[in-house]
Amino acid sequence: MSALKPLIETTGLVKKFGSFTALNGVSLKVYPGEVHALLGYNGAGKSTLIKILSGVFPPTEGQISVEGQPVSFDSPRNATDAGIGTVYQDLALNPLTSVTRNFFLGRELTRFNSPFGLLKMDEMHQIAIQEMAKIGINIADPEQAVGTMSGGQRQTLAIARAIYFGAKVLILDEPTSALGQKQQMEVLKTIRQVKDLGNIAIILITHNEIHARLIADRFTFLSLGEVIGEGTAKDLQGDDIKRLIAGGAEIGDLAKELAAT
Amino acid sequence: MSAAPRQESDRHDAKGPLAALFSRPEIGPIGVMLLLFGMLGYFSIPAGEFSLNPFAGEGFNALGIRNNLRVISQLGIIALGAGLLIIAGEFDLSIGSMIGFAGACMAMILRWGFSVVIPYLSFEGGVHIEFFTLIHLSDVSPLGAIAITMCFTLFFGWLQGYIVVRSGLPSFIVTLGGLFFLRGLTEVSLRSFNHRPDQVKGATTVTEIPDIKNIIHLPGHGEIEREAAKALPEADLTAIVNALPADKVASITDRLQYTYQRIADAKTDIMAARGVKPLERALENAINSGNEGMVATIQEKIATFKVTPVVPKTVTDIDVARAYIDSVVTARPVANFFGGDILEPIFSWLYYPIDWNTNNFGNQFAPGLYSCVMIWVILSLLCYIMLSRTQAGNWIYSTGGNLNAAKANGVPTNKVKVSLFMFSAFCATIFATCQVFEVNTADAAKGNLKELEAIAAAVIGGIVMTGGFGTVLGIIIGAFIFGIAKEAFFYIPGIDGSFYRVFLGLVIIASALLNENIRKRIMGAI
Repeated sequence: MSALKPLIETTGLVKKFGSFTALNGVSLKVYPGEVHALLGYNGAGKSTLIKILSGVFPPTEGQISVEGQPVSFDSPRNATDAGIGTVYQDLALNPLTSVTRNFFLGRELTRFNSPFGLLKMDEMHQIAIQEMAKIGINIADPEQAVGTMSGGQRQTLAIARAIYFGAKVLILDEPTSALGQKQQMEVLKTIRQVKDLGNIAIILITHNEIHARLIADRFTFLSLGEVIGEGTAKDLQGDDIKRLIAGGAEIGDLAKELAAT
Repeated sequence: MSAAPRQESDRHDAKGPLAALFSRPEIGPIGVMLLLFGMLGYFSIPAGEFSLNPFAGEGFNALGIRNNLRVISQLGIIALGAGLLIIAGEFDLSIGSMIGFAGACMAMILRWGFSVVIPYLSFEGGVHIEFFTLIHLSDVSPLGAIAITMCFTLFFGWLQGYIVVRSGLPSFIVTLGGLFFLRGLTEVSLRSFNHRPDQVKGATTVTEIPDIKNIIHLPGHGEIEREAAKALPEADLTAIVNALPADKVASITDRLQYTYQRIADAKTDIMAARGVKPLERALENAINSGNEGMVATIQEKIATFKVTPVVPKTVTDIDVARAYIDSVVTARPVANFFGGDILEPIFSWLYYPIDWNTNNFGNQFAPGLYSCVMIWVILSLLCYIMLSRTQAGNWIYSTGGNLNAAKANGVPTNKVKVSLFMFSAFCATIFATCQVFEVNTADAAKGNLKELEAIAAAVIGGIVMTGGFGTVLGIIIGAFIFGIAKEAFFYIPGIDGSFYRVFLGLVIIASALLNENIRKRIMGAI
């Protein structure tokens, strides 16, 4: 493992909103073919971190490098171009239009490469079906409206789309929340399929420690904007994860404090 | 071969052609449209006659088709602008005022030319405002007038769109402001321009614009209006005929002879009907009184009743010259493109030799269709291709369907919205252009309430008010329903004509409910 170079690396990321410090020096290494679970309590700074990684806003301090090259993003488009694909909780899908139209939303294949050139619909249908099949979902009708698909299928569509459009780093924001048990498993299977492709680094943001343990190779725990624990799946045993996800050291301190009084 | 395990995707079959047809959002509106066509056809069959053919009625004679299609296509043009904007999730309430503004602007430029003036404060002879004329074009071509007007209206469209996307205010409020602003601006400018001696002081109309589309180039007379050319001295008209090739004269004469014969026949028929009427009344009386001898006599008289046939007029050179002037191609193709007629050869053929496009007096009924029908067809086709087949269309759908998703995927949603506000203004200007060149006047009150009619037509055609859903075909059908309803209700015997509004009101609510239902079904909420 150590022979591998990290696909994306952050060093000492700090983000301040006025007087509020959302992130206080976060360093992170994500390797290709690995699922890196980012865990933490509400308000730990997970969302701020992924928004910086996906170019929504720049960090106050610190550096991001992709494949060893330092990068800085002015817009989400920059981040996408650099190979960072983010799949948000709302999936950025338009439920009223078809699978294909959503797959290619904003990057449609057209004749003459003009917004008013005709869409190459057949080619787009074919690619959409193919790419979704690669990560394990077969769709019968690419004209099907996304609104009629199951939550798991939608997640797959969003992931397949990000990969097809060049994501080397895939950021999944709470992909299993708001889904039923069976669909959560479907999503985890999809993540496993993406991992097995071997060349993609996955950052998985989740609350659910069971899901993280099922699929993740490496963990980073955030609390109050700082990393309070990290390691590979082997390093972390049993209650460590549970303790860290609940705020870790903080709770331990609290217990001492309580005992002292 | 082992069966593959059942997957989530197996629950959704590809739809068969029939199921696909019936799940299309336009299927309900198409039904209403066919119902209205049937009503218009059957109710407009004159009382006492019976026919199973809906096209036998007055609603579908040549003039009926000409007039109905004009109303439908005018509404259809602005409904396209309003509909596409609603699909992108915004409204435009300023369409009606934009029509008034564009019409007035264009008419004023055509009537008095175009100037750019700079007002400044003058101190000579008391403080007052003077105007310095920077540019004055006294004779602007139709194309020039349209281009200048477009600059203004597209700017207003852009401005409204820019305010909406920048401020995040509801477009309802911003364009409501536009509605009052533009209507007021139109009235103010027309009043201030109408201090001119050739206009009624303070009037909010522009009149006496020349009939530009009917200006023709007549050899020996230069450019001249058709009516003026027809009123030339007889010697001039004869000279024109003499200069024509023989076969041209022959074909015009042929057609005129047919027309005169047809008119004479119609007159004969009318006279016969008039002459028989007293006899029929007498026959009725005789039957009532039971005088059988009298009944037989009168019946005999009716059977043998004849009037001497009317002799048709003979075709003179003057008639040929006037018919020729009518057939000369316009010298102002732009004005004719917007305000003239189309399909004239077909309508002429339907009169002679087909004899369908003929009124009760034997004359040709309709000269052709209004040009705005063609413009509507062209615009609809372009919009259809744009919305369903291009990247721009997908951007419009996604902007209205899920704004954040569209933004996250790099769709320039603000540009999409602003462009559609401009397109809505463009459609309103096209509407006004057609009107100005058709009737050669402008009125500040033109286009009143048209914005609501356009939105109503779009809703009837299956556009969802929250955006993201609807088709161009739907907008077209909506325009048909809205345009035809008034005519269809007009012909229902013994009913107040205003019932068409009651009907449309119900259709609008029913359509909105249906649209919402379809939308929820697709969103997976039902």
